[in-house]
Amino acid sequence: MVDNQAGGKRHVDAIVIGAGPAGLCGAIAIAESIGDGTKVLVVDEGIEPGGQLPKQTHKFFGHEGFYASVRGFEIGKRLVDKARELGINFLMQTTLAGIYEDSIVAYDRNSNSVSEYTADYILIATGASERFLLFKNNTLPGVYGAGAVQTLMNQYKVMPGKSFLIIGAGNIGLIVAYQLLQAGAKVKAIVEATSKIGGYMVHANKIMRLGIPILLNHTIISALGEDRVEGAIIAQVDGKFKPIPGTEKEIAVDTICLAVGLQPSVELVAQTGAEIKYISELGGYVPVRDENMKTTVNNVYVAGDLSGIEEASTAMIEGYIAGYNIAQKITGKDMSEKITNMKNELVEFRKGPFAAKVREGLKKMGISFPGGGYREEIQQMPSSLSRLKAVIECPQAIPCNPCETSCPTGAINTGGNINGVPQVDYEKCTGCGICVTKCPGLAIFLVQQREEHSIVGIPYEFLPVPEKGSSVKLLDKNGKYVADGQIDRVMINRKEKTHIAFLKVPKGMEGVVRHFEMSTVSEESQAYICRCEEVSRNDVEKLIDSGITDYEEIRRVLRIGMGPCGGKTCRSVVLQIISEKTGVPISESRLGAFRPPVIPLPIDAIVRYAKGVGTDE
Amino acid sequence: MSEVKGAYNVCIIGGGITGTALAYSLCNLGETSVAVFEKSYLSSGSTGRCGGGIRQQWSTKNNVRLAMRSVELFEHFKEDVGTDIEYYQGGYLMLSYDEEEAKQFEKNVEIQREEGLDVEILTPKQVSERYPYINTEDLVLATFCQKDGHANPHKAVIGYAQAARRMGARIYTHTEVLGIDVQNGKVVGVDTNQGYFKCDAVVNASGPWSKQVSQLVGVDLPTESYRHQIFVTEPLENFFPMMAISFAGNFYMRQAQHGQFIMGQGDKDEKPGINYNVTFKFEKELTVKMVKLFPFLRNLRIMRHWSGMYNMSPDAQPIIGQSNIVNNYFYAVGYSGHGFMVAPAVTEALAELIVLGKTTHTDISYLNVDRFANAEVEKEKNVV
Ligand SMILES: Cc1cc2nc3c(=O)[nH]c(=O)nc-3n(C[C@H](O)[C@H](O)[C@H](O)COP(=O)(O)OP(=O)(O)OC[C@H]3O[C@@H](n4cnc5c(N)ncnc54)[C@H](O)[C@@H]3O)c2cc1C
Ligand SMILES: Cc1cc2nc3c(=O)[nH]c(=O)nc-3n(C[C@H](O)[C@H](O)[C@H](O)COP(=O)(O)OP(=O)(O)OC[C@H]3O[C@@H](n4cnc5c(N)ncnc54)[C@H](O)[C@@H]3O)c2cc1C
Ligand code: SF4
Ligand code: SF4
Repeated sequence: MVDNQAGGKRHVDAIVIGAGPAGLCGAIAIAESIGDGTKVLVVDEGIEPGGQLPKQTHKFFGHEGFYASVRGFEIGKRLVDKARELGINFLMQTTLAGIYEDSIVAYDRNSNSVSEYTADYILIATGASERFLLFKNNTLPGVYGAGAVQTLMNQYKVMPGKSFLIIGAGNIGLIVAYQLLQAGAKVKAIVEATSKIGGYMVHANKIMRLGIPILLNHTIISALGEDRVEGAIIAQVDGKFKPIPGTEKEIAVDTICLAVGLQPSVELVAQTGAEIKYISELGGYVPVRDENMKTTVNNVYVAGDLSGIEEASTAMIEGYIAGYNIAQKITGKDMSEKITNMKNELVEFRKGPFAAKVREGLKKMGISFPGGGYREEIQQMPSSLSRLKAVIECPQAIPCNPCETSCPTGAINTGGNINGVPQVDYEKCTGCGICVTKCPGLAIFLVQQREEHSIVGIPYEFLPVPEKGSSVKLLDKNGKYVADGQIDRVMINRKEKTHIAFLKVPKGMEGVVRHFEMSTVSEESQAYICRCEEVSRNDVEKLIDSGITDYEEIRRVLRIGMGPCGGKTCRSVVLQIISEKTGVPISESRLGAFRPPVIPLPIDAIVRYAKGVGTDE
Repeated sequence: MSEVKGAYNVCIIGGGITGTALAYSLCNLGETSVAVFEKSYLSSGSTGRCGGGIRQQWSTKNNVRLAMRSVELFEHFKEDVGTDIEYYQGGYLMLSYDEEEAKQFEKNVEIQREEGLDVEILTPKQVSERYPYINTEDLVLATFCQKDGHANPHKAVIGYAQAARRMGARIYTHTEVLGIDVQNGKVVGVDTNQGYFKCDAVVNASGPWSKQVSQLVGVDLPTESYRHQIFVTEPLENFFPMMAISFAGNFYMRQAQHGQFIMGQGDKDEKPGINYNVTFKFEKELTVKMVKLFPFLRNLRIMRHWSGMYNMSPDAQPIIGQSNIVNNYFYAVGYSGHGFMVAPAVTEALAELIVLGKTTHTDISYLNVDRFANAEVEKEKNVV
């Protein structure tokens, strides 16, 4: 730990804000290159370092060089261990409260104390915050953001409810749904306003084969309940996302989980004076930066979700790029080789169709990445498989390849680019099943046609582990019952926790059966924009109608964003309403000011610090 | 010259309290061919960043009169202008920690009383009896005027702007005046980033930018802008009705309608120039000082910290009037940190000057820029 000399500013070569994958990799790159971790300080407000990673119990996508197919929390641990080995200092449970003209101020909420720093370089990797959704009764207890659900469930081991409605079928909604199911909760449905699943098909398939409906062209209209959520009303929407009268449906749930997207947390980077721009493809307001991750302020760098909502893998690479660039300036040594290598990694990652938005967004900053150049053909399952072989059902070009890199016989390839659709060389495949347990999409099955029945091996991550010989109901890829079957055997994988359950299925059904159910398993405009100040959509619309159309004007009349959250949730919602009503796109409306501190700073802590008394008396 | 977009009798540069109140005052006199040009959003300048204090306890007769007329207008704001601006006459408590200053305060009170202002002089004991939550250590004396108070500056600007719009004025936001067209010693139009507008008179109400805007007309104004920082805490139940202010102590503080405490201080080391950054030094200095005087603050947290500009004049009094170099050029600038409170009276007088050629409610001739031509400059002492 850095010891706080009360009252005095401490100087470090580089301060890294945010200990997510981006910040950690950036800090590691700097420390490694300058050969002294003690000159690098990482500040994070979380309890443990890792950012989003400790919340993630699923295996990550990407390639194994960047920890793909390792579970999220495990990646975090490995990076943190490495950083600590290098001697990097961490200030945890400490919010970087503001970047002032004269210093960088951190607030440690544990000891209720503030400290001041100066740094030659600042790497900001504050990630993203969740978007909020307007619907009636959205302030009822029982309405959570996906991040909060994950934190409670995966970090604190507390279930926020028993039965869930999930809003949003992007990767986060799909993954949270799966994690809830793993934790034993019910998921009644996932509703998605657009006409397609935004997340990866492999993630959606994991949910669908468990029988969870994904309702496209649907939205939530209202939460139901007196003191807490007891249900929800959902409805179908038209092409303009307006609910279609008469299609309303009531669903009984005790928890509503919002997974409607992330927006970069730009407050701090904006305080440095760096230029901020609205680029919807990157998630909203983002700092303008060059291909070395440098912002328009010379010694301020950014990386990760802050610079555009993407993935842990790209966050890590961006962290390295920023870190090596900073190290290059600190040491004066030429790091261009390492930087170029990392840039090439990014190019590979961003070729795929899911990166198209990011490519578009970056183009608006004058940074171009090529698309395409990967395989898209999907391999058909061979008609006869007399020996146990891997069957891959991974139909989209996604930046992922642990199947390829994990196969001991080299039987799987993605066709030269990480985004390519994988194919199996059936000459080489021995049916060992390693790829099945490595695939983060749970998209690989093992299939064998026998005389009297067929065998289907299914990746299985639920408890209890089924017993050999027990009879089960066989389900298809939509979770529909298709036949009765039996557990032939189970391959237990204690380390990775992805077991393989081998099912006996009727002949001809080897391409159909994708899950099973054990017999023991039971079946089953008053919306507030600003929660802090209780401002409704109606209030905002009335003001806009009266001719007050500037975010800053509206904000001050209605006191939006003046509560404890500092506008983190409501800013984008208000901008959205302004844009809807005035027809001016958000990208053309003016960005309001971001003022320090980013969290309320106790006067007491400042006074004690200023007088040199240190921590709590 | 860019495309002609319109013609108005009066073009006002600046959408702060001065610009919008003037638009309203002109309309009130029947002059509705008025345009306000604001380069950003309404109240984006000093007004939206200010403390909102409204006081009449000044050290010169003229300033007391001007302030008293303003208070009269603030008292009728809701009926006249049609907006609730959180105006509250909770009083101003002026605390003196300096013997010499205290003597001056007593003299000021005499002048104020002569003008009919009801002001009390309080001993430290009286202060601590009345306000047990104030630490009166080192206090020499205090003065108090119940009729002083505060209001929400942003709401005042929006209120004036909406009223002016209803009466026919046009308000152009995100429209920056880039040039002022002067021909034969007369302003004939203004050039903006949204086009050219013809006009018969132009008013400089550009706050921090007063000097630069005046240069567009070719008239020098002796103003400089200095940063002033200010922060606001989380809310408490309302119990602190007045604005507390001290010149020797260098601070002011009030509790806003929603319960937050707003406070600021001046910094002698500030350099002139526009600077909207904030410093942590300010938070350290001000919290240490304020916690000593108002111990209850210790348990609060700072929510937001921002800065604004004081447009200073050489004698710390506003510069208001009509140019004698370019005849149809008017200015209302250099408020030196108290432009919000006097704006209603100042703009009433200025509107009269523009429309009637003379003032009828308040005399503002002493605020004309020509006063600096005289060697003697009487400095207003009551400023933070
Ligand atoms: C449910 C879910 C599933 C995902 N699955 C995958 C996947 O399979 N593969 C993949 O590649 N990516 C995945 N991602 C995305 C990945 O987690 C993020 O892209 C990645 O974490 C971004 O890293 P980051 O370092 O930019 O930000 P984060 O990980 O969000 O870290 C930001 C850190 O900054 C800290 N911080 C913010 N503000 C302050 C402040 N003022 N003071 C101090 N600290 C501050 C935060 O506490 C946080 O620790 C998933 C994300 C989610 C939510
Ligand atoms: C921290 C702080 C606290 C204060 N506290 C108080 C207080 O308690 N009581 C009080 O009475 N006063 C107070 N003041 C002073 C008060 O804020 C100002 O005197 C007053 O707001 C001035 O109003 P204005 O309309 O003249 O200027 P402003 O509000 O600054 O408006 C000028 C406007 O002109 C615009 N502009 C400038 N150039 C151009 C151009 N070329 N084209 C178009 N538009 C242009 C600007 O964008 C700006 O919006 C305080 C000031 C500060 C900074
Ligand atoms: S089952 Fe084994 S051999 Fe076959 S593809 Fe998978 S890892 Fe390779
Ligand atoms: S099959 Fe391969 S590419 Fe597809 S999700 Fe699994 S590991 Fe990734």
